Amino acid sequence: MNLANMTDYHHFPIYSVMVLFLGAFIIASTGSKPSKDPKNPAGFRAWIALCATALSLFFLGSLVKPVMLEGEIISYWMGSRAIAGGYAIGIAMEVDALSLFFALLIATAVFVSAIYSIRYMVHDECVPQYYVLYCMLAGGVLGLVLSGDIFNMFIMVEILTFAAVALTSFRTKVYGALEAAFKYLVVGCMGSTAILTGVIMLYAQYHTLNLAQLANLVPGTMNNATKLAFAFLYIGFSTKAFIVPFHPLAADAHGAAPASISVLISGVLTKSGIYGIIRLTYFLFQTMNLGSMQFMLVFIGSVSMFVCVTMALAQHDFKRLLAYHSISQIGYVLAAVGLSTSLGISAGLYHAMNHTLFKGLLFLAAGAVLHETGTTDLGKLGGLSKKMPHTTVLFLIGAFSISGVPPFNGFASKWMIYQATYQKAVESNNIGFLLVTIVALVTSTLTLASFVKVTQSVFFGQMPKEYENVKEVPFGMRLAMGILACLCIVTGLFPKTVTGVLTEPAAKAVANVGEYITAMGFKSNLPVPNVTFAQVGVWEPINWLLILCIALLALTIPAVAGKYDRVSEHGGPLGAAIEMVSGKNDQPTVDENGEVDTKYQLFYGGEKNVYSQVGGGDLFWGFKHNWRHYFDFMHNLHSGIVNDYALWAVVALALAIVYMMIVL
Amino acid sequence: MTANIFLNGLQYLGYILIFPGFLFCFLCGMLLVGIDRKLVARMQKRVGPPILQPFYDFFKLCGKETIVPAAAERTTFLVAPIVGLAALVVIQLFIPIHGFTAFSGMADIVVILYLLLIPALAAILGAAASGSPYAGIGLSREMVTIIACELPLVLVLLAVAKTVGNALGTGLCFSMSEIAEYQLQNGSLITKFSMIPAAIAFAMVIPGETGSHPFDTAEAETEICEGMHAEYSGAPLAVFKLSHAVKVLTLTSLFVALFFGGIGTGIIAFDGVIVFALCVVATALFISFVHAVTARLKIEQVFKYYWTVVSGLALVSLVLAWYGM
Amino acid sequence: MIQFNYVCAFFLIVLGFYTIVTKYNLVKTVIGMSIMDYGVNLLIISIGYTPGGTAPIFTKGELTQASYFVDPIPQALTLTSIVIGACVTAMSMSLVMRLHESYGTLDTREIRRLRG
Repeated sequence: MNLANMTDYHHFPIYSVMVLFLGAFIIASTGSKPSKDPKNPAGFRAWIALCATALSLFFLGSLVKPVMLEGEIISYWMGSRAIAGGYAIGIAMEVDALSLFFALLIATAVFVSAIYSIRYMVHDECVPQYYVLYCMLAGGVLGLVLSGDIFNMFIMVEILTFAAVALTSFRTKVYGALEAAFKYLVVGCMGSTAILTGVIMLYAQYHTLNLAQLANLVPGTMNNATKLAFAFLYIGFSTKAFIVPFHPLAADAHGAAPASISVLISGVLTKSGIYGIIRLTYFLFQTMNLGSMQFMLVFIGSVSMFVCVTMALAQHDFKRLLAYHSISQIGYVLAAVGLSTSLGISAGLYHAMNHTLFKGLLFLAAGAVLHETGTTDLGKLGGLSKKMPHTTVLFLIGAFSISGVPPFNGFASKWMIYQATYQKAVESNNIGFLLVTIVALVTSTLTLASFVKVTQSVFFGQMPKEYENVKEVPFGMRLAMGILACLCIVTGLFPKTVTGVLTEPAAKAVANVGEYITAMGFKSNLPVPNVTFAQVGVWEPINWLLILCIALLALTIPAVAGKYDRVSEHGGPLGAAIEMVSGKNDQPTVDENGEVDTKYQLFYGGEKNVYSQVGGGDLFWGFKHNWRHYFDFMHNLHSGIVNDYALWAVVALALAIVYMMIVL
Repeated sequence: MTANIFLNGLQYLGYILIFPGFLFCFLCGMLLVGIDRKLVARMQKRVGPPILQPFYDFFKLCGKETIVPAAAERTTFLVAPIVGLAALVVIQLFIPIHGFTAFSGMADIVVILYLLLIPALAAILGAAASGSPYAGIGLSREMVTIIACELPLVLVLLAVAKTVGNALGTGLCFSMSEIAEYQLQNGSLITKFSMIPAAIAFAMVIPGETGSHPFDTAEAETEICEGMHAEYSGAPLAVFKLSHAVKVLTLTSLFVALFFGGIGTGIIAFDGVIVFALCVVATALFISFVHAVTARLKIEQVFKYYWTVVSGLALVSLVLAWYGM
Repeated sequence: MIQFNYVCAFFLIVLGFYTIVTKYNLVKTVIGMSIMDYGVNLLIISIGYTPGGTAPIFTKGELTQASYFVDPIPQALTLTSIVIGACVTAMSMSLVMRLHESYGTLDTREIRRLRG
């Protein structure tokens, strides 16, 4: 094999997976002796992991031109064992625009999180093993989305579940980490078993494991066994996507894992579940033209987005709150993808991408807070913006993005989702889809509310005394957050470019199943559909931002030239009184001549020292009071007992089976 | 060519700075607030301040000392009011005045819905950055009010989109300029039977969004010392007062543009006056009158009211519009 | 009577589900997961079975109708599945040990610090 052959880009998908597993192997074989550098306990192993993820990202990035822009589908047979006698004998990788889209997301998140890990994982034991599991997790997810073989998908699901469970409980001392890992393992294994059962039932019918061949054979020959297989596979991938009713596991796992792993669980693992559901419904069984299937996905998506956002409002742990939001955003993705219109798929994938970016950013910011203060309890934190100004700005960018404030990326994709759902409602003349638009819009506001809560109770408000010595996080961590923040802004400012290069090719690939089948060497009669991405609304972020900038400038010049030079740094009228009350400034202000400034003494009461930060749990009382029965009910429902969650999984499986039997 | 671009740029700069941008917003917004204060006073059998009082207040505040509390995060504290005001001015540029839109084809009603969040968000962030517990309570109530208003606002806007879309044959229409165009040809939307509940709902949203009685729980000066603005003084406070005035103008003119479009002459100067006159009427009815006859609600009552009565009205309108009535 | 195998396989899977849902002891939960795995393994191997088939070993002689063998792919899959099942058991048992160390109990009803 010569060099020219080896650098052929058709090999790149397998390279991108292999470098990660190879990295894991090398790190594991170097033993577990920590290095002497206190700033990087894993030593060179961290750099190996970083190089592996960077190489993986590079390989996938160089596939953008052939796959995304030129529309080629890379089919790759391991060991060149191609089709024999009309049956796929070998193991295949098949990379179409959809796979590559998800793979790029995953590789980016993994790379950024690896940068972050180097400085983040300094207080832990056994950091070398962390990087082994890290590379395994990354390789597992990447292998899942690039695979063209359904049994390989199952293997990768198992690898990633294992790595994720181990990493969730990596910090065994963290409150509830072991418990979260165990719950995740139990329900995750039920999901994996469901996938395996589905796979084997498909094999029993069609004697092949190749995705393309199955997609060629299954539709049109559906019987009860295939419907059963479909239900099993669907529930299996749902557990990986953590959509309702599997959301409590996500909350536990995200909250307990180290922040760099929460990024992967929320930004990457959930995407692999969504990818599995898309492959299943659009390709393998091609059931998405049925109204009942669209209803199912859109319904579950809407329920996920609403239930999880309300659950998030009731949380008082930073990372747990983010975890519920994560599933809420996955609900948006699922609802948009379930619309089965090309605009809907494009919008859903766009939101999936944005979700990876902004949720990664938010988890990293939460990790930064945890790294410096040692807690993520919203009730204990406060006023960190003066100590960690960069983290605050980066967090705010993430918070604006997830709440859909223009011109950040969350807005661009949510706006497309609203249009897609409303358009679908008009086209199908079904008022149900309109409800989805309304739920999505209201959910977006509730998301904003809960991020206002986080902003107020972590970064602004009053600072407890014990955080006087908190410092800004190291540069390596800020760099990782900065990359994600830049991506958040860029993808929000150029929605047309992003959709044109990334999501529209992927949406076209979803619509064009026939090509997926023929690219693998099978014959397909499926027609090539006509795909358009027409939108009714208009949104020009660049022009809009230009106007806003001019307006800001026009305002700032007179404001700065005018009275802003008179800013004085002693306490304001109320601020001074509160400082007295909270014991921060017991002495009255003294002016330059050494005389006591009596200007604000009017406000000095005789109150005792009181620390008066408004706790995160008490914000939005007016909202919670009206919904108290709902919140009480939900709190009791999420009991934290693993048996209950397992029961939900079984009930979901049973319901899915019954539903599939009836409607398919 | 270069001269052309230059002239175009100058024209757009004029839009942003003079009409319907800053100067227009400043003058009309302040006038609206002045009229509102006078009217409320009259209804309560007081003499009331002169109509130009908001202008005097504004300039006087600008001349006052600006104090940044020691607990505050200074940059956010000072920048927040300016961002909020700028965003409001930008919204005003997207709202059509009888067929004339300064910047059409850049944003639709969903975008305007979200742009309306930015001023509130800026106020919230500024309040959070001040570090005051009064501001903390104020911002929490402001956020609940936003959530409360959001649902009826969404329903109203979707109902309008559906009605206009039905008439145009496209099924739905998100574009503000198309809505204005439709009203130019077919008369105001308020003449449609199905739009009346939506108009009433939107009218009820106006006092909530602008934070006037009985929905001013977020400011509640007798209770939490102006809430979010507790720590503000001097020029930033003046900017907040101006933002409030512009918000009154924005919401009333949005109301006029959505439901009373198509009334005008075609000459921009006259249309501006007509729209302003309609805004005055809307302010008098939905802000001053309501202010004069009601007392402040509790925050949970505000929420309940918006999510039941107002949303119900808007929903009726949406359902009627859906079935083409 | 291959159908009997299928029924048994699904019975085992359901039994596993039942154990996980109803038993409050962590070790029993792990046993339930194992039973679930065995059910799937039985299903896989039954699907690959052909009545009268021989071991799937390639012989040099001519393939005749009489010398056909059972489907080799499910057997390979079963091996993978068994390995994974063993890993699941090992991993969950180690978690159970650590849980018992830090919570002092094996009752799932008491291991619920994370809820709501």
